[in-house]
Amino acid sequence: MSRFAVVGLGAVGARAARQVHALGPPDELLLTSASAARAEEVRGAIGGPARVAPWDEVLSSAPDAVVLCGAGQPGRAAAALEAGAHVVASTDSLSDIEELLGLAAAAEGAGRMLVVGAGFSPGLSCVLVRHAAGRLDSVEEIRVASSGTGGPACARQHHASLGRPGPEWDGSAAGWVRPPAGSGRELCWFPDPTGAQDCYRAELAEPLLVHAAFPSATRISARRAASRRDRLTARLPMLRRPHQEGLIGSVRVEVSGRSGPLAESHVLGAIDRPAVAAGAVAALAAHWAVEGRLARSTGSAGLASLVTDTAGFLRQLAERGVKAAAPVGAGG
Amino acid sequence: MRALRRAVVALGVAGAIASALRLVVRQAPPPPTAGGWRELSGPDLR
Repeated sequence: MSRFAVVGLGAVGARAARQVHALGPPDELLLTSASAARAEEVRGAIGGPARVAPWDEVLSSAPDAVVLCGAGQPGRAAAALEAGAHVVASTDSLSDIEELLGLAAAAEGAGRMLVVGAGFSPGLSCVLVRHAAGRLDSVEEIRVASSGTGGPACARQHHASLGRPGPEWDGSAAGWVRPPAGSGRELCWFPDPTGAQDCYRAELAEPLLVHAAFPSATRISARRAASRRDRLTARLPMLRRPHQEGLIGSVRVEVSGRSGPLAESHVLGAIDRPAVAAGAVAALAAHWAVEGRLARSTGSAGLASLVTDTAGFLRQLAERGVKAAAPVGAGG
Repeated sequence: MRALRRAVVALGVAGAIASALRLVVRQAPPPPTAGGWRELSGPDLR
């Protein structure tokens, strides 16, 4: 009997719950939310094996996998691992991700996998990095850029990240560095219709997650698209309430290295509503963890380290409507 | 002297309004370039 749980039913969680069901209906799908009305709404939309359950019941029911969305993911991850579940954490908060990576020993002790940063960015961006790197014999530089936000929590995280420095890997010098947030302006070309966006350094987790998969890379950096207003107001509280769901978002990864004697660079991207894509990625990661299709069955890591069959992962995502893309001509 | 002071104030107010507008009003998108993006499919996903 397969049992999945989804905790947090906001913009990402609701999509994750639907995708967990669509990817192969589990025998039981437990839904947990701070809002009983919201949980009931999602349960009604999914039907079938879905039922609303409080967090304590989720833990005592020994689910095969728990997908965490919303707040408090490190604490819930530790509890879920102890309960014997694989855990997929969709958070993009750097501090949360650092805490989750610190649960590696707990995950190994429980004999379970903790998938960290399984969303749109990080998440899909990490899989794209891995897929692009597969065409190279050695990876020298990895650059990730993202644009757009999902639900209100994602918008707040995006706003806060532009005011705090994030880690960047510089293997030729000091190793981990933290350049100022808002610096490093770079024009990045995302898949259409997003197109060209000015991107800046921010508190982003991709370098941390990707470095674990590519420790020999000389340079790993991440940028986030931002307007002039975003940057100027980043250190202030949000001046207006975020939308219930953001507009179209994009990710772009560029992986440079060597293929034989040749220096090559491969660019991949994706465009979708971030919450939709994040839900699909989290749900697929949960199914793969249960099916044993990830590179490891215990421990704590991001998708760049765990998804070796990137073609299979991207194919299944494409079937769920989340499609990767590559530039053609001079537009990339 | 009064006229000069008024001119400076007017320029200052105009500059402040222009700065505020630049924060709010979106810039025109960059001009289109050649090329584009294609979805990964088939041989790309093997």
